[in-house]
Amino acid sequence: MNGLWLVAQREIRTRVRTKSYLISLAVSAVLVAALAFLPKVLGGDDTYDVGVVGDAPPPAAQLAYSWWPDEAAARKAVVDGDLDAVLVNGDKVLANGELDQRLGLILESAHRDAQIKASGLTITPLTVESVGADARYQGVRTGIATLIVMVLFFLLIYSSMFVAMGVVEEKGSRIVEILLTSVRPWQLLGGKIVGLGALGLVNLVVVIAAGLAASFATGFTADLPPGMGGIVVSAVVWFVLGYAFFSALAAAFGSLVSRQEELNTVLTPMTMLMMFTYLTAYFAAVEPTGTVARVLSFVPPFSSMVMPVRTAAVDVPLGEILIAGALMVVAVVAVLLGAARVYQRAVLRTGARVKLGEVVR
Amino acid sequence: MLEIDGLRKRYGDKTALDGVGFTVRPGEMFGFVGANGAGKTTTMRIVMGVLDADSGEVRLDGRPVTYDDRRTFGYMPEERGLYQKMKVAEQIEYFGRLHGLAPAAARSATAALIERLGLVERRDDAVEALSLGNQQRVQLAVALVHQPAVLILDEPFSGLDPLAVDALAEVLKDRAAAGVPVIFSSHQLDLVEQLCDSVGIISAGRMVAYGPVGELREREGRGVLRVVVGDAAPGWADGLPGELTREGDRDVLLCEEGDDQDILRTAIGAGRVEHFGRRQPTLAEIFREAVA
Repeated sequence: MNGLWLVAQREIRTRVRTKSYLISLAVSAVLVAALAFLPKVLGGDDTYDVGVVGDAPPPAAQLAYSWWPDEAAARKAVVDGDLDAVLVNGDKVLANGELDQRLGLILESAHRDAQIKASGLTITPLTVESVGADARYQGVRTGIATLIVMVLFFLLIYSSMFVAMGVVEEKGSRIVEILLTSVRPWQLLGGKIVGLGALGLVNLVVVIAAGLAASFATGFTADLPPGMGGIVVSAVVWFVLGYAFFSALAAAFGSLVSRQEELNTVLTPMTMLMMFTYLTAYFAAVEPTGTVARVLSFVPPFSSMVMPVRTAAVDVPLGEILIAGALMVVAVVAVLLGAARVYQRAVLRTGARVKLGEVVR
Repeated sequence: MLEIDGLRKRYGDKTALDGVGFTVRPGEMFGFVGANGAGKTTTMRIVMGVLDADSGEVRLDGRPVTYDDRRTFGYMPEERGLYQKMKVAEQIEYFGRLHGLAPAAARSATAALIERLGLVERRDDAVEALSLGNQQRVQLAVALVHQPAVLILDEPFSGLDPLAVDALAEVLKDRAAAGVPVIFSSHQLDLVEQLCDSVGIISAGRMVAYGPVGELREREGRGVLRVVVGDAAPGWADGLPGELTREGDRDVLLCEEGDDQDILRTAIGAGRVEHFGRRQPTLAEIFREAVA
């Protein structure tokens, strides 16, 4: 185990010191934070600026009041576009051209409420009962699910790629010959996967933190659905499982070649599988209740991206999540064992590309 | 004691090793010599467990060598391999740790080797920034950092300048003096002759000559009599077996047969005998003879 930790430590130390790691970390954090700001920027603000001259009106949601000394000054502000409307002495409204329809309704109803109240009448508002699923957060949840798809895909492919490149670096430079006289193949392979995985996890956590921080800063958190903690935990756990699966594949395929130039070709089956997983997960984000999404959220390795997306988009029974998780764990163990076998047999056979058929069996 | 016994290895229908065996005692320096492709590297890789033999065995002190034994070996493969972007000291220390040294021990062993191999100025440089000779020194440090119990070095001297050759030779002698069996392969036969206690010559996967250097020279040189007679008349050796050859400005008689006492009498009659004795062939000559 000691050997595994030493290898993992070296991977982390070497990689953290490179500029490219720090840059990619910063870029991904900024990107996700920007996405959290986006609704605010695109949607504009949803409050109206209303100038008040004379009597103070009762406060109303969605109206931001400012006080003006006289009608002339307020009138100028409306024409200049600084104000959406001006309320004069509580019974006259100044608007630039036509009054915004929604603003008109709000002002009208506030005006009516004030008169009713003044006449001593009390009125009871309508009660609203929601039947069917709570659809309030559907838009936000779909958005979060889509974001998770992108982040998971990016981190999985990028971390697995680094595992494969590291394997080829050691094989190509023959350093593996010395390494394997002091550590076991599984320690070398495991250390690389653990070390680079830890960095991927750090990246994921930074991205999530950046997204949440930006949401707080914009006040967007009020719109976040309840159970956000569960969504985050699920994304992290599924990332770990998916990463273990794909990085083991990457290492096994990588160990077949001795030169970085051959890596892309040999990794094609893995990247295809990843792309396919990405597409199904994207599809699941758009249609989380469909049969395809439901079925694939159980099938490894698709479940590694489809399940967290489903969990974010809709409420998934805990039992289903646990079954999918158990299946994925089984798949991960199988792939790790198979990859260790391929790696062990192929990594010392330098030179021409090793055929997969020669090392399995 | 390291025993290599009856190693056989085939690649497809090509035989790489055909029963290679030799023994290296503690403190013995063993020179492994052979033409390219004769089987030196294959043998060393099998000793290190990088490759599996089809049959045969490697034993350490009478027991088959295990993985844990090999962790205490120092190895320098034929194809050099280092992390190009890692710093010199950091890299040597890392390998020390992988071989099981505690952090402090790895650090002090690294510092001592860096000093000894003249890498002090380069300790914080990335390996890729070093000259090939210096990279080779780092490679050697990586093989030595854990005070190995056995040293297996494939062509450690190739590409080194004379000063580095001396430094490396000193380090190897040092390790041997500490009781470590040392095996190294080389094409520099004069170096092998000068450094090694015993030599093995391998040709086409078979050991064709093997033994202590002195014994080998005596054994292989037997039969060739070398006679030098100063101020002898030309043609003094006519009628004797063997032939006169020019060595520098002198005529030298080399005889492979005939009665040495007769030859000596004739030589004394011809003039002043300056040299009369069995010729000791150089390792290069033994090598050519054995491999031919």
